[in-house]
Amino acid sequence: MKYTIFTLLIATTLIIPAEAKIDLVTLPTRDTVQLTIYNSADLTLARESRALTLKEGDNKLQFSWENTLIDPTSLEMVPRANADRIDIAALTYPPRVKNLGLWNIESGVSGKVPVEITYLTSGLSWRAFYMGTLTEDEKTMRLQGYVRVTNNSGEDYENAQTRLIVGKIHLLDQIAELARRQYPYGRPGEIRPMDAARPASRRAGVAGEMMMMKSAMAKAPAPKEIKKEGLSEYFLYTIEGTETIPNGWSKRLPSFDVDEVEVVNLYKFEQERYGNSVVRFLSFKNDEKHNLGETPIPGGLLKVYRSVDDRQHLSYTGQSSFKYIPVNEDVELNLGSVADVVVEPKLMEVETDNYQFDQRRNDISGWDEFRTYAVEVKNTRDIPVKIEIKRNFNTTYWNLKKTGDYGEYEKVDQNTVKFTLTLKPRSTSKFEYEITTYHGTRQESYRSSR
Amino acid sequence: MTSRSKNLILAILVLMTAGAAQARIKLVALPERAATVIRLDNPNSTLIEEERVLTLQQGLNKVDFSWKGVSIDADSIRLTVLDHPENVTLLNVSYPPNEAALVWEIACESNYAETVRISYLLSNIDRLITYKAIADKTETKVDLKSFLIMRNFSGEDFDEAHILLDYGQAFDQGIAHEETKQMLFLKAPDVPITKIWTFDAAKLPWDPEQLENRNVGIPVSYRIVNDKKSGLGDFALWGGKARLFQDDGSESTIFLGEDVTKQVPVGEKTELYIGDSRDIVVTQRKMSDRQTNIRRNRANQIILHDTDELITAKIENFKDSPAVLTMIQHIPGQWEMKDCNLKYKRKDASTLEFEIKLPARTDKGPAVVNLKMHYSRINVRPGRVMR
Repeated sequence: MKYTIFTLLIATTLIIPAEAKIDLVTLPTRDTVQLTIYNSADLTLARESRALTLKEGDNKLQFSWENTLIDPTSLEMVPRANADRIDIAALTYPPRVKNLGLWNIESGVSGKVPVEITYLTSGLSWRAFYMGTLTEDEKTMRLQGYVRVTNNSGEDYENAQTRLIVGKIHLLDQIAELARRQYPYGRPGEIRPMDAARPASRRAGVAGEMMMMKSAMAKAPAPKEIKKEGLSEYFLYTIEGTETIPNGWSKRLPSFDVDEVEVVNLYKFEQERYGNSVVRFLSFKNDEKHNLGETPIPGGLLKVYRSVDDRQHLSYTGQSSFKYIPVNEDVELNLGSVADVVVEPKLMEVETDNYQFDQRRNDISGWDEFRTYAVEVKNTRDIPVKIEIKRNFNTTYWNLKKTGDYGEYEKVDQNTVKFTLTLKPRSTSKFEYEITTYHGTRQESYRSSR
Repeated sequence: MTSRSKNLILAILVLMTAGAAQARIKLVALPERAATVIRLDNPNSTLIEEERVLTLQQGLNKVDFSWKGVSIDADSIRLTVLDHPENVTLLNVSYPPNEAALVWEIACESNYAETVRISYLLSNIDRLITYKAIADKTETKVDLKSFLIMRNFSGEDFDEAHILLDYGQAFDQGIAHEETKQMLFLKAPDVPITKIWTFDAAKLPWDPEQLENRNVGIPVSYRIVNDKKSGLGDFALWGGKARLFQDDGSESTIFLGEDVTKQVPVGEKTELYIGDSRDIVVTQRKMSDRQTNIRRNRANQIILHDTDELITAKIENFKDSPAVLTMIQHIPGQWEMKDCNLKYKRKDASTLEFEIKLPARTDKGPAVVNLKMHYSRINVRPGRVMR
């Protein structure tokens, strides 16, 4: 079912009163349509080309968009030929009718003129999602990226060139709100209602996706290529050929498929952030070495599976939503807390010393505290793992002494350090550190050991 | 003339009864509205100027101007005599009670068919200005178009009017009640732009690692200067909503974003915020913040101290093109920079501005610039916020 009525009426009389708009009418069909869909906002730039039949002199052209989510203030028409002889002077939104615009065109030519009509519309969206399949040894992962385009715009777009934009755009008004306004630019002195209601989504969308997939499989066994290029702060994905996405339907398209992405099994422990559990991360880099790095990776949800045998059986490891990853940036996918890697810090000793006294108040004015922690790290897995342990001290006046089998520690900021360890399969590592903190007047004599 | 334009009624009174407005008898000789000007140069009020020919008789004439269904500021109504200003004198203006009307008393030395201009401020008719700019692929210039959006909800239909701002193209157009018209009134091709990225340490999160799955966008703006070099500079540009597009190099455009510009006087600049860059990443951390030079009161409480602070920031450019990041740092109160590895400008007492040139990323990884700012705040009084 086609919900939208796009009409384009050309009236060649000089003046048409708003009350009687229909005069001489032709209805040129849409020759081509291009959709540029954004994912950071409910926004699509539509560009269609049509051939108008103009007469020399004044022409009036009516464009209406009943039951769509078009922002009327974004409408623009540009002639693609004889641009110097065609003046598109004014666009009028007549009184007491909605979803209708009248263009005044002064033409120095008569005959067919190709024009391009652009507008912003709401209701089309896309999102990226991913599937990762780890090898049995969890050293590499096959990463498959998909995009899912959904059309709830009210308009059926047939054979549309589809482009997707990755980027964070600044918008002042929601396009859906602009599309619903009684008057395109509001009334003078009007305070605009912030109606955040979204267009009703249709249940047909889910079923639609499945049907589309089947038909796509039947018709086109070769997946479409997606051309990727950077523009300004955005990335533009152009899907090969054209797509037909009826209103209410979604379409899933493969974006990329790379095998053997080297991954690091990274585990993190930070009590203040994750509690007493170790959190598992899958880490890799969006670069050439990892068979990636061609373009940034748009944010989305990744479901991670692991191969468990030679017969391609899988085990579901977990899922992680991740943010936009620029080229050459490290990716850390949080797969949630685990029990097979354990970090146990234990307070082994507490001492205080170097007391200073305030004679006048008969009280303690400064002291040092020494705490010794023993940290036991267990890797119960049958693969090697990398573990990052962060410790926070709640003060900037501290010094740290370490003992035990771990490498260097790193000062992250004024009151945080990070210990990094790599553990062999099924192994345990222990280390100790002694933290001295300086309190009260003892802070004045503090000297950093680093 | 449509029926609606009779909302403004101009009548010449030949008979006056004493007093009560209800008893005023009007001989209605409705002079046609001639040249009408809708002047939109004041963003808050719209001035209507209309010319009418009044048939005036020698002696005293009373001209009644009344309106209904429209909102006119009665104090704004002016009458200008155009043909015989020396022989036609406006003596006084009176306002009848409980009526949207006024009566002009005009003395005339002879019989004239006099052209007069009536001007008044009409409510609920106004204009907006919008801009559309298309940047080239390299983002060095834009083709700028400005549109006048006229909104008429005044209650009055204007069949034909001369519509103008204080610059740009004027239009001879009619506009009906409840009608909105969009007219292209200014085109400026090849206006140079400067693209700027800004990290303000007071506005953006410092450590992206602390944010779960959220990118920190560095705001990106286009700077346009209203001067001759830009092909502009003849007049102040009105404020309004600007939508920015970019040529994608394949006969199409992408939408970059939108912002509102304030009025831009000649010689001044405007910065249009289009969106956020996620390919420049700033990780800022405070590595040290210690009290020094501590002074205490008799109760041994600290009443005055200095600080020793170290801030580091790692700026990474993951873009395949170079960029210049404007980094804003804030140090409140009295302070002294001990060591800073990058040059900065002191914008005011507590604001430092760094201009950080970032090369493009290479095959090896992102381009990285590190900032190290070691400073001391002096004479800090605990509990007292210094700005």
